[in-house]
Amino acid sequence: MSVLDDLEALASRAEEMIEGASDAEKLETARVALLGRKGELTAFMHMMGKVSPEERPVLGKRANEVRRMVESLIERRGNGLRREAMEALIGAEAVDVTLPGARPVLGHQHLITQIQQEIEDVFCAIGYTVEAGPEVETSWYNFTALNAPMDHPSRSARDTFYVVDNAPGSVAHPEPHATGESDVLLRTQTSGGQIHIMEHQKPPIYAIVPGTVYRPDTADACHLPQFHQVEGLVVDEGITFGDLKGTLDYFAKAMFGPDRKTRYRPHFFPFTEPSCELDVSCHVCGGKGCSFCKHSGWIEILGCGMVDPNVLINCGVDPERYTGFAFGIGVERVAALRYDLPDLRALMTGDMRFLAQF
Amino acid sequence: MRVSYSWLRDLIDVPEAPEELSREYIRTGTEVEAIDTVGDTFDHVVTAQVVSKELHPDSDHLWVTKVDVGRFNLGENGEPEPLQIVCGAQNFNEGDHIVTALVGAELPGGIKIKKSKLRGVVSCGMNCSARELGLSGDHSGIMILPSDAPVGVPFAEYHGSSDTVLDCEITPNRPDCLSMIGMAVETSAIFDRDTHIELPKIEHEDGSVHVDDLVDVTIEAPELCSRYTARVVRGVKIGPSPEWLASRVAAAGMRPINNVVDVTNYVMMLTGQPLHAFDLGKLTERDGHRHVVVRAAADGERIVTLDGVERELSDDMCVITDDGARPVCLAGVMGSLDSEIDEATHDVLLEAACFDSSHISRTSRNLSLISEASIRYERQVDRTRCAEVSRIAAALFEQCCGATVVSGAIDIYPVPVEPATITLRPARACAIAGADIPAEFMAARLTRLGCTVEDGADGALAVTVPTNRPDLEREIDLIEEVVRLWGMDTVPATIPAARNHIGGLTHDQRLRRRISDIMRSCGLNETLSYAFAAPDDLERCGMTDEGHGVPVKIMRPLVAEQSEMRRTLLPGLLTSVAYNEAHGQSNVHLFEMGTLFHGRENASTPKERQSIAGVLSGAWGDITWNQKYAPLRFFDGKGVIEELLSQLRVEKVRFRVPEGEGYGFLQPGRGAEVLSGGTVLGWVGEIHPAVREEFDIALPVVAFELSLDTLMRCANDQGAYREFSTYPSVDVDLAIVVDEGVTCETLVQRITSAGGKLLRDVRLFDVYRDDERVGAGKKSMAFALTYRADDHTLTSEEVERCHGRLVTKVCRAVGGEVRS
Repeated sequence: MSVLDDLEALASRAEEMIEGASDAEKLETARVALLGRKGELTAFMHMMGKVSPEERPVLGKRANEVRRMVESLIERRGNGLRREAMEALIGAEAVDVTLPGARPVLGHQHLITQIQQEIEDVFCAIGYTVEAGPEVETSWYNFTALNAPMDHPSRSARDTFYVVDNAPGSVAHPEPHATGESDVLLRTQTSGGQIHIMEHQKPPIYAIVPGTVYRPDTADACHLPQFHQVEGLVVDEGITFGDLKGTLDYFAKAMFGPDRKTRYRPHFFPFTEPSCELDVSCHVCGGKGCSFCKHSGWIEILGCGMVDPNVLINCGVDPERYTGFAFGIGVERVAALRYDLPDLRALMTGDMRFLAQF
Repeated sequence: MRVSYSWLRDLIDVPEAPEELSREYIRTGTEVEAIDTVGDTFDHVVTAQVVSKELHPDSDHLWVTKVDVGRFNLGENGEPEPLQIVCGAQNFNEGDHIVTALVGAELPGGIKIKKSKLRGVVSCGMNCSARELGLSGDHSGIMILPSDAPVGVPFAEYHGSSDTVLDCEITPNRPDCLSMIGMAVETSAIFDRDTHIELPKIEHEDGSVHVDDLVDVTIEAPELCSRYTARVVRGVKIGPSPEWLASRVAAAGMRPINNVVDVTNYVMMLTGQPLHAFDLGKLTERDGHRHVVVRAAADGERIVTLDGVERELSDDMCVITDDGARPVCLAGVMGSLDSEIDEATHDVLLEAACFDSSHISRTSRNLSLISEASIRYERQVDRTRCAEVSRIAAALFEQCCGATVVSGAIDIYPVPVEPATITLRPARACAIAGADIPAEFMAARLTRLGCTVEDGADGALAVTVPTNRPDLEREIDLIEEVVRLWGMDTVPATIPAARNHIGGLTHDQRLRRRISDIMRSCGLNETLSYAFAAPDDLERCGMTDEGHGVPVKIMRPLVAEQSEMRRTLLPGLLTSVAYNEAHGQSNVHLFEMGTLFHGRENASTPKERQSIAGVLSGAWGDITWNQKYAPLRFFDGKGVIEELLSQLRVEKVRFRVPEGEGYGFLQPGRGAEVLSGGTVLGWVGEIHPAVREEFDIALPVVAFELSLDTLMRCANDQGAYREFSTYPSVDVDLAIVVDEGVTCETLVQRITSAGGKLLRDVRLFDVYRDDERVGAGKKSMAFALTYRADDHTLTSEEVERCHGRLVTKVCRAVGGEVRS
């Protein structure tokens, strides 16, 4: 047998060893046996020096070919084995993807805060600031400065929570009061915010005042003794009733949808004149009339009007130079309209099932 | 205000369809709450004729009648057949035309007509009196129709009573609209159309006697009563009102009573001027006169009002008295029971007066007594018209009560009111409206409203306003009239330019929103609780007054548990935990951001503080196939706070065992004060089991409350970018055995200060206790330490040197030893 025959025999044996390796470990053993320091092929290469010069070119060429073939076979077999292993692993790891996932726990924002922030964003987008005022107010800010007559029924203890005054007569504008009333009260409306703003800012004023207000209504499906309003106030040169309409049309469409129509109904509030109530077309019937809108086709959403000159004067603003408008939005009302809430009391229980719905 | 369509039609032409009028009212500011059809209640009520009348066999006052109701009752042969009805009335005869309610009818008083037996005799309906039909107060017998009345037609059709009533909401600034004449004038301005109002006139005044011969009036309290007029009519024949009068009073929503009372109510509804009729005979005669004295009530004085209630008066109320002594009327609100008109009344003293609106308002509020009169006085009655209205009523007494009008009238009117003149600049009106409204339109419509409009200087209008419009005082009041009559809907909508103004949220407003975002990212749901508190809320929580101010007390709370304003958010949240537990929701994660009210001993208003609080109870979630049940305890709450403070970049955050008595609500050993440096932010901890019991909570609750004001002050904004080291770090573990009393905080502080600038991170990864291996009263704390330099790769010698020094220092400082 010639040396070349030996080489060919080694080549075919090597192929068998490599192809026969059933895992990465056996393949490595085969590699070492063939190409390692003491490997058969390595040994064959070392032997080349002893081959006669005539045979050397042919044999050398063939030996190199065999070595390249072996290397490539090992690599291919290695790749094959890795793929098999990966496939086995994938097969083993397969799960029922319909099993529930591991969910992170995230909290929900309270419905009222959501709507309040939405309203804030609607007005911030057209350049309004967001202001605040105290919840324990004085009757001056809550009523008198807002042009409410001294004997206005809303001042009665039936409609206003009065608070025990620890220092009678010490507020900025003390007033006479009937029994059961005092200078200090829980604000019944965010409108007092108008006065606070005008005391601290000169026009131009474009502001909203979101906040909690209180009225002595026993809690039932439609009333809460504590609820939320967003007051709006604009005071600038040349403000018209048309400006009020344009602004509130924008608000109504932003909050209730671009297809909703608006209607301005003249009304009466002590602190605005002309005053009106704003209705939007009913979303249930589209304005045709249904039981939801009491067959009127319209749903009342807020009260508004041009700031009464007396209010401006009370705040040191010249009503001949400046005019303005104001509005008050009931946040619970928006919530009830948008989400068809049957009972407002659910807003105040902290019921996890309720909170997680919104 | 109930506006009868047929009545209004007598005063002005109105659209055929009530819906159209309603639409126009709403457009111009009179809210129409309902459109009622009066007469619906006459369903199953028909005209009839008495065929026969026989005494009931078993009674001496009941009659068994056969009544012809035409085709409304058919016999077996399909022909009309009389109905048998048992009837208790005595005022009818065979052949009389009457009104019969058939079986199935429901009468205005709520009576339902059924087939029944009266003392053994079948009765298939009811023969009705005028009162049973709600037409008048007449209950002296059944209603007898004229002999030419048809038989067997629906009564509503015969009576023509099917009237429409618009139920209008009149805003408090419009007392004029609380009268039919006022509504007619308003309608005339809306439609730009004339009214045709005809008022009854006195036919004959009895010159033989003058009112001054019979009565005198003194006003002792002119601040309470600005005008008092009185007339006397004699010889009234008290009885039911004529039907037209009764039906108008009924349409206006009042119950017809008798002709005298109905006249006063009718004239009030017509004119807006409340009237009061006294029985003259019930007033005391002295010197041949009756003496009416209008005075302030005495504190504690009593009167039994017409509704039968005895009321205690105070000195800011006004009373009409009999000769200064006995009050016979709570002025402007309600008469007394003992001066009431009754069947024996012969002579009537008619009052048409004007009382001060704010006193009436207060009287009505303080006595919880609201009447049609008080509603009108509260909103202000036009004092120029008292005498005229008194004449209208006298004319109707003459017409409807058979009375003789005594000549003359008493009229005490010390300060007459003159109509005011206001300047209206049409350009100003247009500027406020944002619409081009012609000056002619303004003048025309204001004239319709009863104003006198003349040209003034500089294109302005001089507008003299009617005295029944107290809401018209200033130019803006006239502009409102112009805008609402022009039509708010036709004003073009514009958006103001807001020049020189910048809006948007402030830094603090955005920070507050971010805090809420972080809490929700931590898994907590935002909730809202009542800001009210019970007086024992702090006590129930085991809290003291310290640091909470004095309570803000509500003078008239709805319920005792809501009689103060809250000084902590905790009770509200614990109430919600209990609510959820009671409703089968044991996993509760809530937070609230809200106002606390810290009252002050010597100030009127409290300090309002913003607070954030949270409660965790149960677990984050129920057991699932891949998640174990992990009850929420102290470290879950603390973790939320740590994350919050870290997100807000609060520096020098510390948790320490709370000191003092203010923390009785926390379970000892499971509560901590939260600080930033030396500033206390609040607390976090497990609620004391005794407090949980108080709130009916079964599961452990970990809670926290931080001052939102302080937290926002301690929060830091994002700083500039910091490079991180590109050199590798070396991690070394250190387990150190210390006494139980050595806190983690102490160890970390010692390690950090001993580690020098190469030590970058210290992380506790294990706490191990074992009496044998570690020793009793001791614990092994295992930390992972990370060393790194910013400017080179640390060599192992550097790390060993640094770590060795650290171990020695820490062991010496805390009396611990390295666990090998």
